[in-house]
Amino acid sequence: MSVLDVFGDDARRDEPGAAPPPSPSPSSAETATAPARRGRGTWPPALLAGSVLFGVIATLLLLAPWLAPYPPAQQDLVARLEGSSAAHLLGTDHLGRDVLSRLLDGGRFSLAVASVTLLICAVTGTLVGFVVARRGGWLDTVVMRVTDILLAFPEMVVALFLVAILGTGDLTLVLALTIGGWTPFCRLARGVALEINGRDFIEAAQALGCSGWFIIRRHLLPNALPPLLAHAAVRFGHKLITVGALSFLGLGVQPPFSDWGSMLSEAIPYLDRLPMLVLAPGAAIFIAALSVTLAGRGLETRRARAGRST
Amino acid sequence: MLYVLRRFAVLVTTLLVASFLVFLIPYVTPGDPAARILRARVGDLVQDPQTLARLRVEYGLDRPLLQQYLSWLGSALQGDLGRSFTNGTEVLPQLMRALSVTASIAVIALLLALFVAVPLGAVCAVRRGTPLDGAITGVTQAFVAVPEYWLGPVLVLVFALQLGVLPSSGWHGVESMVLPCLTVALRPMSYFTQVARSSMIEVLEAPYITAARGRGLSFAQTMLRHGLRNSVLPVLTLFAVWLAGLLGGSVVVEVIFAVPGVGRQMYDAVINNDVPLIQGGVVAVVGLAVLITTLTDVLYTAINPNARTSRVRA
Repeated sequence: MSVLDVFGDDARRDEPGAAPPPSPSPSSAETATAPARRGRGTWPPALLAGSVLFGVIATLLLLAPWLAPYPPAQQDLVARLEGSSAAHLLGTDHLGRDVLSRLLDGGRFSLAVASVTLLICAVTGTLVGFVVARRGGWLDTVVMRVTDILLAFPEMVVALFLVAILGTGDLTLVLALTIGGWTPFCRLARGVALEINGRDFIEAAQALGCSGWFIIRRHLLPNALPPLLAHAAVRFGHKLITVGALSFLGLGVQPPFSDWGSMLSEAIPYLDRLPMLVLAPGAAIFIAALSVTLAGRGLETRRARAGRST
Repeated sequence: MLYVLRRFAVLVTTLLVASFLVFLIPYVTPGDPAARILRARVGDLVQDPQTLARLRVEYGLDRPLLQQYLSWLGSALQGDLGRSFTNGTEVLPQLMRALSVTASIAVIALLLALFVAVPLGAVCAVRRGTPLDGAITGVTQAFVAVPEYWLGPVLVLVFALQLGVLPSSGWHGVESMVLPCLTVALRPMSYFTQVARSSMIEVLEAPYITAARGRGLSFAQTMLRHGLRNSVLPVLTLFAVWLAGLLGGSVVVEVIFAVPGVGRQMYDAVINNDVPLIQGGVVAVVGLAVLITTLTDVLYTAINPNARTSRVRA
C-alpha cells in the first residue's frame, strides 16, 4: 500500500456499509445488475454538488477558445503584473498575459491528462483484475505480487526516475501516472469478481457455455461498476493534483504550453507583488479536484444506501 | 509465519527490482555509459580515450550486464554508491543527511496530524450526525483536495510575507520547520480524522463500552480508557502508510521551501543528471518505504490474525 492508496482505502472505510462487494442476495440472477439500478434517482447532496461543479468546470474548459477574452499566449509587456481590472478580470502575469484566459486554456491540459491516464488505469486495472480472478492459480499470484511491488514505489519517485531515463515529455507524463495507477483498480475489480465468482448465476452461465468474456461483460462488470466508478472519481481528484505537481516541478507540461501547475510555479517569484497569480491557478486545481472527490464520496454514500436496502 | 515470509519475499523482490532499474539508468540514457559510470567511481570526468579504455577494463565495464549489476549491487550493499557528479563527494553520507531532514519533517508533520485528528475524530463520533460532525467531516474531506504546492505558497504569503513571523524557506533552526511541516500535515490530518471518526463510531457501539459505563465509569473515563485506546489502531496503521509515502513523496514541499531533504536532492539530481545520486535516492526511498509497510503489515498481523485473510482478499 502507498500513500496514494489511502485515497481509495479510507473512502471505503468511512462508510461501514460500503464494503466493496455488493452483499449477496437470494435472487442472485436478478440482483446481478441490481446494485447499479437500485437507488438511482436518489442523489446524495455530495454527488449532486460535485457533479454540477465538475460539469460547470468541464463546460468552461471545453468552451475556452470562445470564452477566453484574449489568446492565452498573447503578451502585453506594458500591462505586466496588473491586478484585476475590467479589461483583465484576474489580472495579468509577468509577461502581461491575461490570467483568466490562461486559466481556461491551461485547465484543458490538466483535465485532459488526468482523464486520459485515469481511463487507461481504470480499464487496464479492471480487465487485469477480472482476468486474474477468473483464471486464478499462478497468474493471480504473480499479478498480485506485482501490484505489491508497484505499490512500494511512491508516484513522485517513479516520475523522477522516468524523467532521468526518458527526459521530460508527454510519454513520460503518461507513464508516470499509469505505471502504478492501475493497481488499485485491479485489486478492487479482483475483489468483486472473487466475491461473486462462486455464486449461482456465474455457475449457470458457465454451464450454459457462456464464454469468459461474456461473463466478464455481462456479470462481473455490472456488479463491479458502482465501486469502480466511486473509486475512479476519487482517483480523478488525485490525478489532477499530481499532474499539477509534476508541471509545478517542470516535469509535466513543457513550454510553450502551460497548465495550472506550471502557471503556479511561474507565479511564485511574484507571490509578494501579486498573490492572485498564485492563488488563482491553485484555486482552480483545488476546486476541480474537490468537485470530483465530492462526486466520488457521493457515489460511495449512494452505494452504501443501496447495499443497506437489500 | 507463511504470511511473514511472503511479505519479506516481496520486500526483497522490490529492492532487487528497484536496484536493477536504477542500475540501468546510465545504460539506457544517451551517451557512453562507461564514461558516466567511471565518473561515478573515479569522481571525475575522464576525457582521454586511452585512459577510458584502460579504466573500462579495470572496472569491469566490458563484462556482461548481469555481472556488472551483481558487482554494482555488491558494492552498493557495502554502502558504496559512488560519487556524485555535481560535487564529487560520496553519495551515501549526502543521502543520510538528506534522509534525516526528510524523516524529521515527515515524523513531525504526521505526529501533528495525529494529535489534531484523533480528538477531532472522537468529537465527530460522539456528536455523530450533529452540525458539528457535519462541519468537521465536510472540511476535512475538502482539505484532501488541497494541493501542497498551493497551501505552501499561501502559508508563505501569510506567515512570512504579510506577518513576517516565520522564514519563507531554507533550513535553519526550528522556525524554518514550521511551514513545511504544516504544509505536509494537512492532508494526512484530514485522512486521519476520517478514519479516527469511523473507527471511534465502531468502538462506541462495542459491548465493552456499555460494560464500562455499567461499571460506573464516567463518560470521559470510558472514552479515555477504552474508546481512544481501541480506536487509535487503524489510525496508527494509516500513520505508517503515510510515513512510508512521505519519505519519498514530499518532493514538492521540499522544493517550495528549499529544504535539503531527499526529495529535493533527487529532484536536483534529475535536473543535473547526477546519476549516482538518483540511484542512491531511489533505492533508499523505495527501500525505506517497503520496509516500513512490511513491518507495519507484519506487526498488524501479529496483533490481529483476522487481518491476514481480509488483506488477502483486498
